[in-house]
Amino acid sequence: MVKDLVILKNITKAYQTGKVIYPVLNGIDLEVKEGDFLAIMGASGSGKSTLLNIIGLLDKPDSGEYFFDGQEVSKLNKKESAYIRNRKIGFVFQAFHLVPWATALENVLLPLLYKDEEITNEDKEKALELLKRLGLEKRINAKPSELSGGEQQRVAIARALINNPRLLLADEPTGNLDSQTTQEVMSIFKELNEKGLTVIIVTHDPEVAKFAKRIKLIKDGVFIKQ
Amino acid sequence: MLIKYKLLWGGLFYKKLRLLLSVIGIIIGVSSLLLMNAFGEAAKIKTLKEIETFGPEIIMVVAGSVRVHGGRAIQTEITTTLKPSDAEALRKIKDIKYLSPVFNGDGVVRYLGNTLTTIINGVNEEYLLLRKFPLLEGRNFLIDEILGYKKVTILGYKVKRELFGEKNAIGEVIRINKLPFRVIGVIGPVGIDASNVDQDDQVLIPWTVAISALYNVDYIRSIYLSVEDISQISAIKERINEILVKRHQVSEKNKDFDIVKAEDILEVKTQTTDLFSNLIKSISILALLTGSIGVTAIMTLSVNERKKEIGIRKSLGAKDKELLFQFLIESVIITITGGLIGIFIGLFSSFILLPLFKYPLVFPWFPILTSAFLTIIFGILAGIYPAYKATKIDPIVLLR
Repeated sequence: MVKDLVILKNITKAYQTGKVIYPVLNGIDLEVKEGDFLAIMGASGSGKSTLLNIIGLLDKPDSGEYFFDGQEVSKLNKKESAYIRNRKIGFVFQAFHLVPWATALENVLLPLLYKDEEITNEDKEKALELLKRLGLEKRINAKPSELSGGEQQRVAIARALINNPRLLLADEPTGNLDSQTTQEVMSIFKELNEKGLTVIIVTHDPEVAKFAKRIKLIKDGVFIKQ
Repeated sequence: MLIKYKLLWGGLFYKKLRLLLSVIGIIIGVSSLLLMNAFGEAAKIKTLKEIETFGPEIIMVVAGSVRVHGGRAIQTEITTTLKPSDAEALRKIKDIKYLSPVFNGDGVVRYLGNTLTTIINGVNEEYLLLRKFPLLEGRNFLIDEILGYKKVTILGYKVKRELFGEKNAIGEVIRINKLPFRVIGVIGPVGIDASNVDQDDQVLIPWTVAISALYNVDYIRSIYLSVEDISQISAIKERINEILVKRHQVSEKNKDFDIVKAEDILEVKTQTTDLFSNLIKSISILALLTGSIGVTAIMTLSVNERKKEIGIRKSLGAKDKELLFQFLIESVIITITGGLIGIFIGLFSSFILLPLFKYPLVFPWFPILTSAFLTIIFGILAGIYPAYKATKIDPIVLLR
């Protein structure tokens, strides 16, 4: 039997601006099994990014339960969340979020800095291997400003993979890319998933969502029954 | 191994202008603090040096009343009531080491074709010892020369050089206000004393000759005394006062003389230098503050600009502590670099500027340590505080 990697039970989240409270998530239930490839679709403001941030332990739910890899994680402190983010979760963002002064290779190595271990030559080999696999072997010493959007996103994917995460999260990973590069990047996600990595992406683009094994629609903070 | 440090602090050199500005802020603060303190310190040492030739053991009895003004003892009116017999009377006081009557006036001094105007100081054979003037060549007056009205003279260092140059002066005859005097000694360089008189620009002659042949008066202008035991100085001053009040038959209120200790002159002088150095300290602290505020502003800007980097690092699993450490080290690197360069520039410029203003060279250890300490503290706060604030923000906000 395939193990559940992510279990969300009745998750809620609201934001407060001044005296006005905006409910964002209104009771989300979700199960993601290992090896799954889930696309969460919704319009902007539907709460899909907030949901992804909660799954990625960048944000905390107001109520509900969250089991990640068998562990209740919704009430962990900052340090414990940081530990899990570093070891078990890889992030890919719409705006790539590479460190501007570091080279492609250095950006890929960055998560290792927070692993409490020395960065070894094997780590470097592994980073180079990842960059090569993503077709960036000629750009390892380039700064983000010298890379195209597609190249930057591939560096970000390599960075997300360096610690062998259990879960890869991507928030509109193709939002800043043209359609051809979108196809290339999504093929990478598909390939990674086929090799066993669990992937959750958030998008509003059906072309992107169709790469996933299953799609869930979110509206006004709840999943729409399909 | 190296890659770790590159990943931590590679961002330091990303914006080079920003780095330069932060370092310059510190440099200006530290170097100006140093330079100004060096000046303050040097001014103090200069005053103390001046006091050396007018030692704390010396008491001056001056005819007329004297005001200490701007560090100088100024005789406010000419009085003729201080007589050589007063000096003899004071000699009876116990614990007096040296005593000399003094009559001084301006005079024209000539040797062959060279003429100059200088101070003619009529004194006795104890005056050199009392003032601790070193004899460069020749000898002191003999008591017989004083009592015997002999026309002999001891030249100040500058007077000797101007009249004779490198040539020998001892045994030569010069003319002082047209009268011939034989040179018996030359005083080594002494400089300006506490009463702001250039002691190298004078000639000494027996006081007996000064009041008779040269100026034809029956009074003296002052009496110099030095005491054996400096702790007795106030008591002796009191004793002098008693004797002279009695001899001159005056009341305390309308005395025709004044008694001045070196200490009195020193007091006014140190008040002035203290004011000066306090002013300097305030200005330099202001300079350091300005520099530090500049650094704080730039560091705040830098952290704000790098909020996204903080967010990225957080999303990758960086703990707050690790981020704080990163920014702490960055600001320490900046402040220490700026501090060291500032110390170097401050020392270098004070070594150049102090001699230019005829101040003695000083190596101000204390300001170096204080300014180094203060800048490091400021630098740490300047770097840490904005970083601390940034780490408190949610990574999702930082990444937006």
